[in-house]
Amino acid sequence: MIRAIGKGSLASILAVGLHIVRVIVWIAFAGLSAALIAIPLIPPFAEWVAHVDGASIEGDIGVDAGDFVEVLRHFISFGVALYVVERLLELLKTLRFGSPFVKENARRFRNVGVALLIGELSKIAIWILAAIFDADVDADLDFMAFVSIAAVLVLAEVFREGARMKEEQDLTV
Amino acid sequence: MSISVKLDRVLLDRGMSLTELSERVGVTIANLSILKTGKAKAIRFSTLEAICKELNCQPGDILFFEDDGRPIRHDD
Repeated sequence: MIRAIGKGSLASILAVGLHIVRVIVWIAFAGLSAALIAIPLIPPFAEWVAHVDGASIEGDIGVDAGDFVEVLRHFISFGVALYVVERLLELLKTLRFGSPFVKENARRFRNVGVALLIGELSKIAIWILAAIFDADVDADLDFMAFVSIAAVLVLAEVFREGARMKEEQDLTV
Repeated sequence: MSISVKLDRVLLDRGMSLTELSERVGVTIANLSILKTGKAKAIRFSTLEAICKELNCQPGDILFFEDDGRPIRHDD
């Protein structure tokens, strides 16, 4: 049977997995950040190169507003993922080195729920941007995502009550 | 409104230290300290019974109900 805490426990295995995910998400997030800055600069750069004598650009480097909106959508998704992974690692840390029933964990769960909600609702902003720039962006609202967000927020309340009970138990003589 | 603990006063009257009481009732000094400093959220009947037995007192000698710092008496 897998232990709850300590070496070889599910928490430590999850922590290792989340550390790997964090590195991957950080790399993706850094790449998307760079792309977000670079995309608006590509057309003026291409125009500048076209005016330089003897210089030419081969191939199609045309980017439009749709590309920018698409990158923005992924930037927000990975930003939220990064935030969630960081909070989950903090949560697992408290599980591995003591009791998880502390007020901070209730706050972390609530923040995760709010971050996921912002991530999901940001799709509305993406729709508006896509409509403005006449871009074709796939960003449908996911019903199951809202159910998951509700579950996380309920879990936050459970942890808040758990933290209160733990405090009461600790202060019972 | 709060419950205040006057354990230090009873200990002083009996000339007993917190360490001695801890050894006699089998409750850690840390827990008795929580009780003495008024940080405790609850007290078990078994703990209260052991303390009262060792200090030869009533629960009412240790615990007081105060309404905004003003002690409530039976004749109020």
